[in-house]
This record gives sequence, structure tokens and C-alpha cells, in this order.
Amino acid sequence: MSEERPGAWFGFGFCGFGQALGSGCARQVHSPEPVRAPEVGADLWRVSASWSYTAFLSRAGQVQLSGSTSGAADGCRDAWASEALLILLRDGRGPGPGAELQAWAPSSALRGEPLWAQTVVLEAEREDGPGGETHNQTHNQLPLLPCARAYVSPRPPLYRPLAPQLRARRLELGAEHSLLLDDAGRVYSWGGGRHGQLGHGTLEAELEPRLLEALQGLPMAEVAAGGWHSVCVSETGDIYIWGWNESGQLALPTRSLAEDGKTVTGEATGLSEDGSEVKRTAAAETGAPAAFIAVQPFPALLDLPLGSDAVKASCGSRHTAVVTRTGELYTWGWGKYGQLGHKDMSSWDRPCRVEYFVDKQLQVMAVSCGPWNTYVYAVEKKS
Amino acid sequence: MQHSTHQTELAGTVPVRDALRALLPRTKEEMQLDLSERMDRSVVTLLKQATDLFYGGRVSECLEASEAICDYSWEKLNTGAWQDVDKEWRRVYAFGCLLKVLCLCEAPGDAATVPAALKVCDMGLLMGAAILEDILIKVAAILQKHLSGKRPSPAPAQEQHSIKKARKEHASVPDMRSERAVPRLHCPSLQYFREHHLVPERPVILEGVANHWPCMKKWSVQYIQEIAGCRTVPVELGSRYTDEEWSQRLMTVSEFISRYILGEPKDIGYLAQHQLFDQIPELKQDISVPDYCCLGDGEDEDITINAWFGPPGTVSPLHQDPQQNFLVQVIGRKYIRLYSLRESEALYPHSTHLLHNTSQVGRQDRGGIATSLLPNPGPFGDRTGDLCALSRSTWRTPTWSGSPSLLRPRSCPACCVLERSCSSRRSAGTTYAPWT
Repeated sequence: MSEERPGAWFGFGFCGFGQALGSGCARQVHSPEPVRAPEVGADLWRVSASWSYTAFLSRAGQVQLSGSTSGAADGCRDAWASEALLILLRDGRGPGPGAELQAWAPSSALRGEPLWAQTVVLEAEREDGPGGETHNQTHNQLPLLPCARAYVSPRPPLYRPLAPQLRARRLELGAEHSLLLDDAGRVYSWGGGRHGQLGHGTLEAELEPRLLEALQGLPMAEVAAGGWHSVCVSETGDIYIWGWNESGQLALPTRSLAEDGKTVTGEATGLSEDGSEVKRTAAAETGAPAAFIAVQPFPALLDLPLGSDAVKASCGSRHTAVVTRTGELYTWGWGKYGQLGHKDMSSWDRPCRVEYFVDKQLQVMAVSCGPWNTYVYAVEKKS
Repeated sequence: MQHSTHQTELAGTVPVRDALRALLPRTKEEMQLDLSERMDRSVVTLLKQATDLFYGGRVSECLEASEAICDYSWEKLNTGAWQDVDKEWRRVYAFGCLLKVLCLCEAPGDAATVPAALKVCDMGLLMGAAILEDILIKVAAILQKHLSGKRPSPAPAQEQHSIKKARKEHASVPDMRSERAVPRLHCPSLQYFREHHLVPERPVILEGVANHWPCMKKWSVQYIQEIAGCRTVPVELGSRYTDEEWSQRLMTVSEFISRYILGEPKDIGYLAQHQLFDQIPELKQDISVPDYCCLGDGEDEDITINAWFGPPGTVSPLHQDPQQNFLVQVIGRKYIRLYSLRESEALYPHSTHLLHNTSQVGRQDRGGIATSLLPNPGPFGDRTGDLCALSRSTWRTPTWSGSPSLLRPRSCPACCVLERSCSSRRSAGTTYAPWT
């Protein structure tokens, strides 16, 4: 059991509503800054970010909201933020092991009563309840309910049962699709598929969870859903990615970046050897056929630079973030609000390492993306 | 504040900024957003803030906020099917574009400022919904007027050369001998048309209906370039919308003309099924709505007018429309092949939702699977003023054609189609997802 090293949360990206993401002066933060969530402080355990506000959850069970809404509440085991609803999983009011699932209007600032509440049964003790280690947070996390028999959705119906044969371990929601990882490492997807985000090779919608056949035989450890794209990380550290690539969020060449001249190409860390930016021109000019990919309807294997293994992934609306086994953070996709953490507003269609953590000798342990921003938990490296 | 007519007179001299400001309510309190309660409170708050910032003269902050409003609502416009997108999100997007345009034009800027602002304005028109009594149309007119004073027209010689070259080359046209032609009537009465063609759903060509329209005399590639060159429009790339390489891209009309119409285009680009006349009212003045459009069910407001503008060789795959269509060909020729609905099975409609009204049959060979053709309108158009009435109960595939005496592939035909539409636009396989 590794000893607890001092760690902290960092944030970068959109904070136009004043959500805690650093100094709090600007509408955007382009490079990681320590998160200031004073009431929660060093006890910060989980972050759930919506577009206009962020919910901070401490080990001691306190939730603090920051941004377009404020407010705090005690006795929280989990929190999940969306524009329409803030979902809290709180200790049951009576005796016994039950818990209460609550849906709040974000603007209520957690005063008064929730819009909806229901007692939920917990399965056997969860390993990662408050007090557990920060990086062990993949099991039964909202929007998946602790019993794993149902999940919550920001759109009605709020409470959605899952078929009993799906032994769900993790569930993620995109703008119009859902991803599910089961106990055996299999991935299912359903919902809208117009941008290939379901991964079944078509643009058709699926009403019910459908198994990703392309990944059969490859047990997955993590899944993450962006607005219209999907990522999963295998137990062996490989990344599979599919869906919409309009801002390069699949790390595949995208026309929009080539035409804007904003894409930066070069070595793994993003600069050519002499440190200058190299603009990628549209392939059409050189006569070769352009191999731009707008939509990838079935999983593609993505290699990180230097052959690094991935262990964690999280997606924003149109960007992707991945943590490697050695504690590096790579980001790519839409970067207009600084959500990639590369000190500028460039979008990237290839994985780029966030140098801040390397420079500060920090080892990244976890990442959690809001739609247009990114929160990172990192610990000091052993010397 | 200037009176509205006075303002248009001065549009050439008064800086763009003042002309735009004159369109707005004088105070921020008078600026009515009128957004529904069901919109996310956060974005409504941000929009109000952005408006306050503008009226407070804090332009760069307003621009930042407008960008966020545009980006957030853009994501909503891309969620789900286009026809299911809440209209309020399109209005939010339009507001975002409006504020962005206003901010861009506040500072003195350079030569690129007004074209950039016009592009934003066009995005608001293409993907947004009407706000403040169609203010974006007025904004576009102001920006365009400012630009047209400075832009030189392209040399007419280039177009003439292309046409001459085309005439010399041999072109292929489908052999019409064994096909039956659709009947032609000269200006039938509304009643006759209704009884003999509309109700029994029989296609017909109505002669002499549109020959007095201004477009017949005025339209040319040069004219379109002058009127609309700097406007941004959606262009379909790839030969057919059923192809895997088919895509949509936004570009200005100038770019479209120079890349896909004039010269020797390498690829096929097609300005297809676009409500161009709503976006550019100046062009609408050159056309009329035939009286025949007012027959049948539905309100006059349900009439949608689309434009098709493309090089020869464009083919629309065999498809079926749920509405009655009237087709007027202004420049160039079109060949249309029709099949009865009874042949539907033999035409192998796609099984996917997006393409269910489109046949999988590729080339329109004469030896095709469906043997009983409807009477065929055949090639028609080229400034004759003929109106082709296509009923909804037919499969149709319009193809550009050439013939030795006609404008051949190198020419630049244009065509305007009037559609009588009951509800939403035809969903013939084009994905109506907004373009990036």
C-alpha cells in the first residue's frame, strides 16, 4: 500500500461563470492552476463540472458549488453536475445502510428541498466511499447508481433502470449517447449515433445497450464519453476512440484545423526541434489526397507518444484527456478556452503532453473534464 | 437616432458601426430577448450580461461572452436531429451571432473585419432563427453594401470563354426516343391544373409561366457573384449524397463559383437545396411564386423556396419527396427521370433512417430494374420559363445533361425550385446537422 503523498487539484479551461479554476479573475485559464475551493480545501476528493458551475466533493462528505450557482451541503457520498440538474447521493436520513438520491435545480443553491428524491439501496460496501483513495474512483460513480441497476439522466425520465444482465461497473453520458462498462470489461453503447459515437460502424441510433463487438476479447478498464465521442482504455493500457472528430478530439487529422492553420505538428511534445511551430497545410495543396476524418464510426486504436500506457481517461464536450501509467497527462481536441492546458487557445488533433506537470515534478493521478474545462489531481513525485 | 429610410441612404457613407447601431433598440432595457423559460438559466443570464456589456461599451468582454453563447448554443444545435432542435436554441445562437457582429464592427478594424462579420452574420442566418424582427437580414444588407462598394467584379470574359468552349464539345444526353415525355400545357387554368394534375398526382410541364420573371434576363454567374459573392453558403461536395465521401462545407459564393463552377473544377461542388432567397432577399426580387403553388392543402407560409446552383454533371440520386414540387430551370438544362411509386420495391430504398426515401440504384441506366417509367419530363429549362410540376408520388432523379447544341459540362447552369411544403423541408437523405 503506497503512502499518501501530498496531492492537490488543478484546473484549466473555461470559467466564464466564475467557477473555481484558479485565480478567478479571467474567463479562461490556459495553463493549470491550483483549484481554490476554500470550504472544501485539501480534503477535495471528487470534482464534477458542468458548463456553468462545478461541484466539489470532499472526503468528509461536503459538497460545494462554484460558478453560476453556489451553495453547500453535508453528508454527500457523490455528486454529479449538469446544467439541468445537480444530482447528489446523500447519507440516508434514517438508520440503516440506505442512501438518498436527490435531484436539485442548480439555481436553488441547495436551499430548500430537492426537486426529486428517492431512497436507494447500496450494494455491498463500496471500496471507494469517502475516506478511500482518490484515484480509486471508478466503481459505481454517478450517474451510475451504487446498486448498478439504474442510472440517472439530466433529461426525463430521471431514473433509468438497466437490464439486470448488464453488470455495470461504470456509466458515462454524452450529449446524446450513453456508454457502459461492465464487470467483465465489455463496453456497451446506446442512444443517438449520428456522429459515429456508438462505435458500431453505422450512424444509426440504438435504443438499447448494444455490445461493442469490435472490442470483443479486449477487456477495458475505463470508459469516458464526450459530447459526441467515446474513449475507452484497455487493461493493458491501450486507448480506443471513436465518434466525431470535428475538433480533433479523436486525435485523427481534421480538416478544420488544417484549414485554419492552427494545428501544430512536430515532435510528441508539440514543438519541432528548434522549438518553432510548424503549420500543417491542407494535403490538397501538395496533390496528395487529404486523409481527414470527420467521423470515426468504429473504435480506432490510438498510440500515445513514446508508447506510453494509458490508465485513465476523461472527455469534455469536444476534447479528450488521458493519464498515463507514469503520471503524465495528455490532452487533445478543442482548445479554444484553454481546456487543453497548453498555455494557449489552440486545438490539437494529436495527443500533446501537458508540460506544466512535468515541469513541476508532479505525477498526475486522476483527471475529470467538464464540458469546456479540465480538472486534474496530481501528487508530488517521489524524489 | 436616424429614421430607417434615412439610414439606408447613408449606408454608403456612414460607418458600418453607426449603421448597425441604428438597428438596435436605444437602451438595453428595450432590448427584448424574449426567451422561453425552458432555456438553461445560465445561458440566458450570460446573454443578458453580454447585452449589458455591449450597451455599456465594454466591447471586448461582450465579444468574449458572445463567443461563449455562440459556442454553447452551437453544441445544442448539434445535439439530436436538426428538425428536433428546440427553436429557442437557434434564437440564442442568432443572438450570439448578432452581438458578435456588433462587437467586431465596433473597433475600426481592417479590410478583413467586415467580411469576417458578414460570415458570422450568415452563420446566424443559416443556423439561427429569426430574432428582433429579422435583424440579421438587415445587418447582412448593411455589411454587404459596405463591401460591394469596394469589391471589383470578376471579368465577364471568363464566363463567356467557358460557355464557348462547352458548345464545341460533344456531350452525351440520354436517348429519349423510347421514353415517354411528360405532357406540356401552356398556362392552364388553376382549376384545370388542380383537376387533371395536382389531385391525380400526374407530372406536367407548364409552359410560359415563368418567362417574364426578371431572373430569366438578369441571372448569370457574374450577376450572382456581384449580388452574393461575399455571402457564406452551404455546399455539398461529392457526386451524390449517398456516397461515403459526400460532405457539406461552408464557403462564400465567390469561393464556390471559382472552385466549382468556373474553370476546370477538379471536384463536384453543389449548392443544393438551400433557402438562398431567405438568406439573400436581393435575389428573391428576381423570382415570383407561381399561382399554382397556392393550390392544395396548407398555408402559403408553408411554401419553401430552395435554390440549386451547380456545374453540369451533378446528379441527385433517385429519391422521393413528401411534398409537391414545382421546378423552374433558369440557366442550363436538366434531365429528370421519373418512376411511379408502384415501383418502389424495385427501386431498393435504403434501409437506414436517413436515406429511406432514396433508392440504392446507382446509375440511371435505361436498362434499369424498374421497367415501367412514368412519362418523363426529359431535358427542359434553359431560360424557357417552363415550370415542371412534380407530384409527390413519384421517384425522381434530376441530372444535368448536355447535348451538342446545349451548354455542356463546362457551363454554369443554375436552377430555382419552388417547393410546396406541408411541414418541414424534404428529408431526402441530406443530413441537416448544422455544419461546422
